[in-house]
Amino acid sequence: MRQLLLLLMSVSTHTSSDLSTPTQPAPLLRAQKLFCERDDRVLFTDLSFTLQAGDLMQVQGSNGSGKTTLLRILCGLNSSYEGELFWEGVPIDEDRESFLSSLLYLGHRVGVNKILTARENLRWSCALHGPVSDSDIDDALYNVGLAGYADISCRNMSAGQQQRVSLARLLLSPARLWVLDEPFTTLDVRGVKVLENLLAAHVARGGAVLVTTHHTLEVPCALRRLNLDR
Amino acid sequence: MWQWFFRLGSPKWFYEMSGKWLPWLFVLMTALLSVGIVWALLYVPQDYQQGDTIRIMYVHVPVASISLACFPLMAVAGVITLVWKMKLADMVAKCAAPIGAWFTAVALATGAIWGQPIWGTWWAWDARLTSMLIQFFLLIGVIALRSAIESTDAAAKACALLSIVGAINVPIIKYSVEWWNTLHQPASNFSMAEDSPFGPEIWVPLVIMIFAVYCFFVISLILSTRNEILERERRSQWVVDLIADESTK
Amino acid sequence: MTDASKTSHGSLFKKELRAVGADHEQVSTFAAFRATLRRDLLIALKRRNDLLNPLMFFLIVVSLFPLGVSSDPQELTRIAAGAVWVSALLASMLSLDNLFRADYEDGSLEQLLLSSQPLYFMVLAKNISHWLISGLPVVLLAPLLAYMLYLPADAYWALVLTLLLGTPVLSLFGAIGVALTVGLGSRGLILAVIVLPLTVPVLIIGAKAVTDASLGLPLGMHFSLLGALLALSLSLAPLASAAALKISVN
Repeated sequence: MRQLLLLLMSVSTHTSSDLSTPTQPAPLLRAQKLFCERDDRVLFTDLSFTLQAGDLMQVQGSNGSGKTTLLRILCGLNSSYEGELFWEGVPIDEDRESFLSSLLYLGHRVGVNKILTARENLRWSCALHGPVSDSDIDDALYNVGLAGYADISCRNMSAGQQQRVSLARLLLSPARLWVLDEPFTTLDVRGVKVLENLLAAHVARGGAVLVTTHHTLEVPCALRRLNLDR
Repeated sequence: MWQWFFRLGSPKWFYEMSGKWLPWLFVLMTALLSVGIVWALLYVPQDYQQGDTIRIMYVHVPVASISLACFPLMAVAGVITLVWKMKLADMVAKCAAPIGAWFTAVALATGAIWGQPIWGTWWAWDARLTSMLIQFFLLIGVIALRSAIESTDAAAKACALLSIVGAINVPIIKYSVEWWNTLHQPASNFSMAEDSPFGPEIWVPLVIMIFAVYCFFVISLILSTRNEILERERRSQWVVDLIADESTK
Repeated sequence: MTDASKTSHGSLFKKELRAVGADHEQVSTFAAFRATLRRDLLIALKRRNDLLNPLMFFLIVVSLFPLGVSSDPQELTRIAAGAVWVSALLASMLSLDNLFRADYEDGSLEQLLLSSQPLYFMVLAKNISHWLISGLPVVLLAPLLAYMLYLPADAYWALVLTLLLGTPVLSLFGAIGVALTVGLGSRGLILAVIVLPLTVPVLIIGAKAVTDASLGLPLGMHFSLLGALLALSLSLAPLASAAALKISVN
């Protein structure tokens, strides 16, 4: 029955959104009535928000409030939810490819293979989205404070340095939407500054950022907050 | 059509309807089973080669036919789970796996009991028995995967996928085993259901028994699915009401 | 944030961020496929010790057969085809663990799933590199082991050819099982319980082809069956693995 209702709901919301779109451009990302429960516990229900180009949104909430789950749902890594997600006004499931080509996700696990060098890691992860040159990689590593570390095996790096390797991807990616899950955890003061500047610069050029962190963001731009605690 | 389909997917609807069907199914099964067993054991003439041993067929063939139907059933349920995310389909698939494994085990056991007087050994690497054995392993694999994954949702999808892969594989396994068997050793001079000259006095009770055992399978599946529904929907209002009703009675 | 840090922003970045959403060169699926293949081969080459393990396992299991059965050449000749094939099957099962495990643990798998390229080709690339580093060496070592088991000389080419056609199928089927179980904390033997029954047809056809070759029987049927299995698993198994990976990271 719930399935049927959802089906009907999706049909009706679809038509209404089609009617409203001509007046203003569709937001980059729109979440509508998200519902998610885990282990018989409701994480969030009736959660709706939009993310415009130029938005920096910090997802807040206590431990276990579902921040990571929300980000993974938005990226499509988690499909156990109910509700609707739209990318530029189109349901995400209908055109996943164009959504994925505009998305950069950095999760808890940084996606850095410890056996490979920083350069080899970046070459692969960028090859999945857009080609980059070796000098681009060198520049990116320089900018995240890893100059000279390009050809060192990531096994020999500290956790913070590995995190910086993954942050270098922000500089190499053409993605419009950044979804960052606790990117500040292992960074030192300088690294935090670098990342904050990166976020501000990305927002300034019309990108959008969704970030979870317990760190107090100090950015020279508007900061929106989404609180998951009820 | 679709409305009906989605209503069928509602656990509550299924629970209520199956409650109404169950008594009728019980009556039908009892009738078929008593007629079938009495006919098969007392009135079917002895086989000219096998004597009374042929009567094992009346248990073995129906049970085996159900264990063969089990994988397609789970695969269809798997497709419904993955495509329409219908929870009921997964509940049915989850309950069908152990029941199917039991039926397969019984089919293997009755096959062995039948094989003893015919082949002179409890186990032969006969094509049918072998592919039945492999299918048993596949079912065990699905059950093991289900019990290994903690999240109900992930377990549902993973088992659905494995059932589909398994169902695609079952015919391949069956044909490769038959091919291996016929070329490896001389074809067994007795094959279980085809050789004997069948008259209606032999196959009519067999058909009755097949229907009876199917009823039994459906009843077990429904009973087990009803338990699963109550467990998974225990927090929904209708189950709470139901339990309250039961305890006041 | 102060003005000072704002102005330092320009000097902080040697190069500006890449233009957002600009019509950058679309990366081709083939380039992504090649990058994934190269990456996995590179990782394997940097862990040479792991390369040897499946091979050693293969060698040990095969040499258990004479110890367990008999050292009589005639008896060994009879079981040689089956013994080599069963050992190859077990060796490929053992090596499967490397396929997605490390990627799952370090988060690379999420990156792979979020690439805008078709997952089929990405999984296929991983499968191919996995076969190149664990399946191919087994195929190449097989004649030596067959010699130790007194396999008739006529059957050598059949052994190598069937393994060449069959071990990729084992890798492809195995990948589905690995993808389904990669998220489990304690996997134990569940991978083997899931995957081994699926590999029965390959084992039957492969071992029988070798036996028949040593008897001088025609083998057209065997090879076309193995070829059909390979074609089927090449086209479907990566799709199933991709779906299974999505379920596992959920």
